[in-house]
Amino acid sequence: MPDPQDRQPFDLTRRQVLETGTIASLTGAMLPTAGLAQQAGPQPSPENGMTVHLSFRVNGRPTALDIDARASLLDLLRERLGLVGAKKGCDHGQCGACTVHMDNRRVASCLTMAAKADGRDVTTIEGIARANGLHPMQQAFIDHDALQCGYCTPGQIMAAIACVKEGHASTPEQIKEYMSGNICRCGAYVGIVAAIEQAAPQIERS
Amino acid sequence: MTPNRNADRPRIDAHEKVLGRALYAADQPFPGLLHAMTVPATIAKGRILSIDTAAALQVPGVVRVFTHDDFSQIRTTPAARGAYGQPGKGHQPMTAPQVRHRGEPVALVVAETLEAAVEGAEAVTVRYAEESFSARMDDDLAGPEPEAAGQLASGDAEAAFANAAHIVDVEYRHPQQHHNPIELISTTAAFEDGTLRIYEGTQSAAAFAGGLAGMMGMEPQALRGVSPYTGGGFGQKNGVQEQSVLVASAALLLRRPVKLVMPRGQLFHTASYRPQSRHRVRLAADGNGRLLAGIYETVQQNSRYDGFGSDHGANPPRMYGYGAWRGSERIVRVDTQTPGHQRAPHEHPASHATECALDELAGALGMDPVALRLANDTQRDPITGKPFSSRHLADCLRRGAARFGWERWTNQPGALVAGNGDRIGLGVACGSYKAAMTPSVTTLRLSAGGQCRIATSGHEMGQGLRTVIAAELIDVLGVDPGKLDIRIGDTGHAPQHLTAGSWGAGSAAPAARAAALKLREELSQLTGAVLSDEPVHVQLARTRRPYLEVSVDTVPLGKDRQAIEQLRRGMPVTTGPEYPDFLAFSWIAHFAEVHVEPSTGRVRVRRVVSVADCGRVMNRRTAESQVRGGVVWGIGAALREAGECDPRFGGVLNNDLADYVVPVNADVGAIEVDFIDEPDTRLNLSGVKGLGEVAMVGAAAAIVNAVHNATGRRIRHLPIRIEDLL
Ligand code: FES
Ligand code: FES
Repeated sequence: MPDPQDRQPFDLTRRQVLETGTIASLTGAMLPTAGLAQQAGPQPSPENGMTVHLSFRVNGRPTALDIDARASLLDLLRERLGLVGAKKGCDHGQCGACTVHMDNRRVASCLTMAAKADGRDVTTIEGIARANGLHPMQQAFIDHDALQCGYCTPGQIMAAIACVKEGHASTPEQIKEYMSGNICRCGAYVGIVAAIEQAAPQIERS
Repeated sequence: MTPNRNADRPRIDAHEKVLGRALYAADQPFPGLLHAMTVPATIAKGRILSIDTAAALQVPGVVRVFTHDDFSQIRTTPAARGAYGQPGKGHQPMTAPQVRHRGEPVALVVAETLEAAVEGAEAVTVRYAEESFSARMDDDLAGPEPEAAGQLASGDAEAAFANAAHIVDVEYRHPQQHHNPIELISTTAAFEDGTLRIYEGTQSAAAFAGGLAGMMGMEPQALRGVSPYTGGGFGQKNGVQEQSVLVASAALLLRRPVKLVMPRGQLFHTASYRPQSRHRVRLAADGNGRLLAGIYETVQQNSRYDGFGSDHGANPPRMYGYGAWRGSERIVRVDTQTPGHQRAPHEHPASHATECALDELAGALGMDPVALRLANDTQRDPITGKPFSSRHLADCLRRGAARFGWERWTNQPGALVAGNGDRIGLGVACGSYKAAMTPSVTTLRLSAGGQCRIATSGHEMGQGLRTVIAAELIDVLGVDPGKLDIRIGDTGHAPQHLTAGSWGAGSAAPAARAAALKLREELSQLTGAVLSDEPVHVQLARTRRPYLEVSVDTVPLGKDRQAIEQLRRGMPVTTGPEYPDFLAFSWIAHFAEVHVEPSTGRVRVRRVVSVADCGRVMNRRTAESQVRGGVVWGIGAALREAGECDPRFGGVLNNDLADYVVPVNADVGAIEVDFIDEPDTRLNLSGVKGLGEVAMVGAAAAIVNAVHNATGRRIRHLPIRIEDLL
């Protein structure tokens, strides 16, 4: 986790963002591997009601904006920042499709208020590929066909990386237990366990 | 060219998916996008007296609140939710001040942001005049219908029972179940290139072009249905949804793009579900275990207005060489939303009932259940007398038994005990699913630079259709998988069929293969020689043409060119299982090992071995995943899933993923998959029969039979829960 002093205060207001379209270009540029990065979405609609000011890092890049106080972290990522890799499968913390990392820990972004991201480091599926290619967990998911429709996959991969870093990937039974917050309705569980077993030795415990 | 039988490649779209770059319907970005939220009805049946939208309109950001007053011109057509193509049926909410089932949308709030739409929807107040209703098929007010016509029968089943040495007569019950694909059903309507584009994760993009156009009184060309990736369908996304036309109409009226992601809690009440059903199974055998006759009677719940029939009786008589058969199906109408196809829609409940009854018969005979099935194997359909195009079910059983270690099985329940005291149970069951096909329209373009682009009919919803198409292009043309551009699920690229009923691969693979073969032929005419082993694009480059393009219409066996016209008009055309000269099915045998904790009754599925005969295996890795997925669904059906209907209010009580329990990672043990891999080229050019549905058929029955083998308890309803075993 980076030292808080490393964080660059980033004082861009919502108005500036809307006027200049900065958010869009920022989002595009903030990703570590531009070639693999998701295209940024268009400017989101203006916020209504009470807003809160947020200053945080997404996939390593500082971001600041004013956002509806009712918004979830998931809706911030998807509807405001164009980072649509995290998925909505229930909006109730019951499926894991929206799993992202906040300060290196996995969270259900649908259950996390966007306001809670203030001052934090958020990593999404768009931010884990390494400059020289895929993250070992992404490659392992391909190798073991640990997906079908792919809708739960970003959440599974983010949970899987966290599962290894937490030290919960030492046996298949342990992996199954600690991956049971992520539902795969297509039923790719056997592949998911095999993928985590393959990738685990290549990922450092935190 | 003989088809390659050993392909085993990574899923062609896995790279996009692990990067989070595959764009699903609700991921599409649009400038000026508005967000919508529905207001669900809080009664099960009645009239809407008034809708007060004033408070909702006061919520900052709310743009408009739509009610039935705004949408009365929308027509209920054969494309409407629940009509199943039948005129005069189906129900489109919000076209009249009427409520026909709990949870249907009664208002649609559109706002600048999702948060404002949600708050607006909560601020709408509706007054109703309630009417009496019944939401369960056992309720007094439920409406039973007479037996449906056209029941399958052969010989004199009743007479056979009089001479039988052994008889079973049992009733199995199946609960209501909900698909719950992890992608929430959503609709986004946006304007592009002068058309209204509908983005919805669907198995039938054509329904959004043709179907919605009819409901909205527009020309079909004015709409385009787009669904390149569907986040799981399982039958729930096989047509227009209750909210689809509402969102499209809202976008038209507001002249801005509108997105609605349905909350999961509402989907339990607006989207389709597998209806509750009862199954009485009577089997008669002689002293050697020959099946003399079967009588199979089912009752299935339906909504008041739907066109979804019962079809439980289609497969069971084809499983074994019954001497005589009689089937009977009835439906009972209730006041819920319309049920529909859910993975192995009737085949799964039917296999649960009949394959468990067969296990009971084996018990009565004192016979090994594998031996009983082998003794009644048949190469002919007992109903029509026609042969099967291919049937390797006996091989599936033998190969599965060997791999599973079936020799450990004994007919003494509870005889096998694990080191920790758990009772070990072993069970077997079989399944079948019709090998169906539908027409396709395909355009294939090879560029001299090596790029290969195909536009064809079909939807990718995780079953691996893109990978199947790629397998044929790679097999015939040797193209680089990295240079393939596969355009499906979009009416802007090709006419789209409803992709369901396991006819996806049996339709898309022959279409891709036919197009690739035609391209080879044209290329060889261009070069004036037989093609060499060099990459095709290199040979094309030598002709100095930038690209070569071919178009192919594929008409399935037993149909004529008219089928293509129907496809172009967005109408479903399917074949199977009966073809002029034979019947065609995929077959499967499942073997399950369960461990039951004696003190708590907790059941764990430790290991499943499944061997399938699906014709040619198009790509081993993705095919294995398909079967594993079907087995996971079998585990869910056997031990977890049931929608609990509240008869007082007409709703589903457990309408979220915390209470409607589906299998999670820790519920699933080893699942080993094998295939017979014998191409069925009498059926189509690719020799493929279909896999996604058959994978589930019989899986739950194998688990239920294993639970009996572990505990001696014969539980005749699903799911089996701890309280059943204590
Ligand atoms: S969407 Fe967050 S857990 Fe399901
Ligand atoms: S891959 Fe479809 S839900 Fe997991």
